[in-house]
Parts: sequence; structure tokens; C-alpha cells
Amino acid sequence: MKKVISIVAMIVPLLMAQGQGCSDAGICSVGKSFENDSLVFKNSLEWGSQYAKGDADVSYVAHFLSYTKRFNARFAFSAKVTLSTATGSFGTRTQFGDAILVGNYHFKPQKKQHWSALLGLKFPFTASNLKINGFSLPLDYQSSLGTIDAFLGVNWRVQRWDFNTVWQIPLVNLNKNSYFREYGGTNDFVSTNLFERQPDALVKVSYTQPIPNSRWSIKPNLIAIYHLGEDSFENIFGQREKIQGSSGLTVNANVNVNYVFNTSHQIDLALASPFVVRDVRPDGLTRSLVINLVYQYSF
Amino acid sequence: MKKLSILALALLLFGCQEEGVLTQTPNSTTVNPNATLRYFGDFYPTAGIQVEGGVRIYQTPGGFQLELNGFSISSGPDLKVYLSQSDTPTNFVNLGNLTGQTVYSIPNAVNLSNYSHVLIHCQQYNHLFAIAPLQEN
Repeated sequence: MKKVISIVAMIVPLLMAQGQGCSDAGICSVGKSFENDSLVFKNSLEWGSQYAKGDADVSYVAHFLSYTKRFNARFAFSAKVTLSTATGSFGTRTQFGDAILVGNYHFKPQKKQHWSALLGLKFPFTASNLKINGFSLPLDYQSSLGTIDAFLGVNWRVQRWDFNTVWQIPLVNLNKNSYFREYGGTNDFVSTNLFERQPDALVKVSYTQPIPNSRWSIKPNLIAIYHLGEDSFENIFGQREKIQGSSGLTVNANVNVNYVFNTSHQIDLALASPFVVRDVRPDGLTRSLVINLVYQYSF
Repeated sequence: MKKLSILALALLLFGCQEEGVLTQTPNSTTVNPNATLRYFGDFYPTAGIQVEGGVRIYQTPGGFQLELNGFSISSGPDLKVYLSQSDTPTNFVNLGNLTGQTVYSIPNAVNLSNYSHVLIHCQQYNHLFAIAPLQEN
């Protein structure tokens, strides 16, 4: 029973973190895995902070706070809120990003393997049209993609291997971004006026290696995300235009290092970088290097 | 106690928002001194909106420029300047945000003779604020 609960505890934050507008390396690197069989608590709080470098000269400092409630050995529910600051040649903009709600169901464990499934929703706090002094900003500076998304995911764990797949499907487009390259004064970003984005499919493979006789563990992983179609925007003539090169594959390398203080407290450090990227990433998910630190308190 | 908690949370949420200083330089800000006035018009508002001023379109050696003159309007969340083929925002050219700037460059691909109005339109909530029919000079 303890193992079941600990696996739920591990999978929920991992997949939930991936669900944060996951289309590229930065967000996906938030994925982590707290692995401690002594985690039998019904509640946990997490605080995460992230630094990332993006395209052009944009850099990010982002935070999240999440709460997970484990109702029983099978079912858990998580709620998460994100906050992001983007800084670059346009200036600095800070805003809350999304609220993410995820339910996770853990199937009856089988010999040496476990299955779980998740269903989640993401609600944006903004219409992705944050400005500075009335000047429209590209999506790289927006704290949310401005869509209500659904997440459907499955996790399969075999001994120390984890295989995750998550679909992120935009259900309602609330994006009212109004950035035009023509009026932006730079060619660093593509036009994203009234941006419409396509779904993503994610596959993650990870291996957990505990370090013997210590409280440390290390977890290298690969995250592949396929953006399932070309995004589009409304051009200056009011006509919808596809953004060529915005579909395709992104592959990220990620490593998590976990330290367990005791049964209630642990931290997780993640480093991530993509080595395959889409030709064009109008959604602004262009993190080239991500450092992420998460603290978890269980009670 | 519950209300206090909600208030504290709301203050925390809004307190974390920050709009920094714009460090990017916007596009053209003045009318070319060699410009020739080609079109002009005065704005009138839609219901519930107040507007003053007019619009002038100049031909310059580098193309056309639109200038708002003596212009003020009720505030709105996402106001744009449209060059439009009618008094509604159906066939238009989006010239960009209505900000402190008063001069807008008109893209060279635009055939001005097809456009009869200048509109001030809130794109985010799809609400028309003001209309200026154009007259040829």
C-alpha cells in the first residue's frame, strides 16, 4: 500500500508539471520525480523556482505553488498556480500564468509494473496579450498561452523505468495576443496576433538511479514533444495565416537530482536543454537552458 | 476570516503583477516633412464612447503615413487603428495599437483608394469605438 501511494505521489507532480503549457524544453523540464517509499502522507505542498534562457535575449524567472491531495491509494488530485517574469529587449513583464488542475488514477499494481492515468485542465490567468506601455509583446513575454487545455496522460512504470505519454489539447482559445512583427521593431519574433495553437503529444522516458547509502538519487530522462500541426495568426489584413515550420518535434535532455531530508521534506534540482527543436516556435516556448529547483513538504 | 483570507490572496495575486519599462523603440513617430496631405476626416463615436479629433493621411517619398490630430478617446483595453473599406471592421488593415504615438506607417502593399474609413477598434473584445470617414484632399 505504501508503495502504491508513493508511486501516486511521484507520478502526479511529474505529469502535472509537464502539463504546464508543455510544448518545449523549458516547461517540460519542470517534470520531476520525488522518490521516497516513506512518503505516505495525504497532502503535499510544493514550491518551485526556475531560471531559463530563451530565444533572442529573453530570460525567464518562473515560480509555481502546488497542492496535492491523496484521497486514497488510487486517486489523487493536484492544483497548481504559476507565475512568470520575462525580461528582454522589450522590457520586463511579470504576471500569473495558469491554474492547473489534475486528477490522477492509479490502477491496481501488477508484478514489477504499475499503470496510472491522468486527466487535467489548464486555465489561463491572461489572454496572452500583456503589454508594456501599450506596446504589444510577443508570446515569448507572455506568462500563459491563453488557452484552456485538457491533458490526457498515461504512465507505465517498470522497475526503475518510467514511460509517460501526455496529450495536451487546447479546448478553448482565449488568446488575444496582438503582436505584429511589422510593428515590433525587430525580426526576432514572428507575428502572433490572435494566435491559435495546435495540440501537443509528449513522450517521456526516464530512469531513476538511487545513490547507495545516501539520500540522493539521480534521474536522467528524455522528453520528446510533437506539435501536431501548424499554428496560425491573423495578419494585418485580418486574414488567418499559418505559421510555416511551427509544427514538428522537440527533444529535450533532462536530469533530475533529488535529495530527501526526511519523510516530509525533499528537494529536486532539474537541468534541461533541447537538442532537437522546431523550425519556428511562435508560442514563445523557446527555453534553451532551464534550471529548476523544487521543494516539497508532505504532511 | 474566510473573507480576509480571500482578500489577502487577491492582494498577493495582484501584487505580484509587474509591468516594467518599455525598452524597445516603437516605429515612426513623426510625419515626414516632405509629405503631401492626401486624405482627411473627423472621428465620430459609437454608443457610449467619447472621441475628439481627426485623421490625416500623407503621402511621403517612402509611402503613406497616417496621423491622428487633436485626438482623444475614451479609454479601452486593446484599441487598434484600422484602415477600413467600410464603417465596420470587416475588411481592414490593422495599423497597430492606439498608444501615445500619433503617426502610423501604412504598409506599401495597401492600395489606399480601396479604403474609405479609419476606425478605432477594441480587438480583444471586438468593440468598435470610433469612425472617421475619409475625404480626398
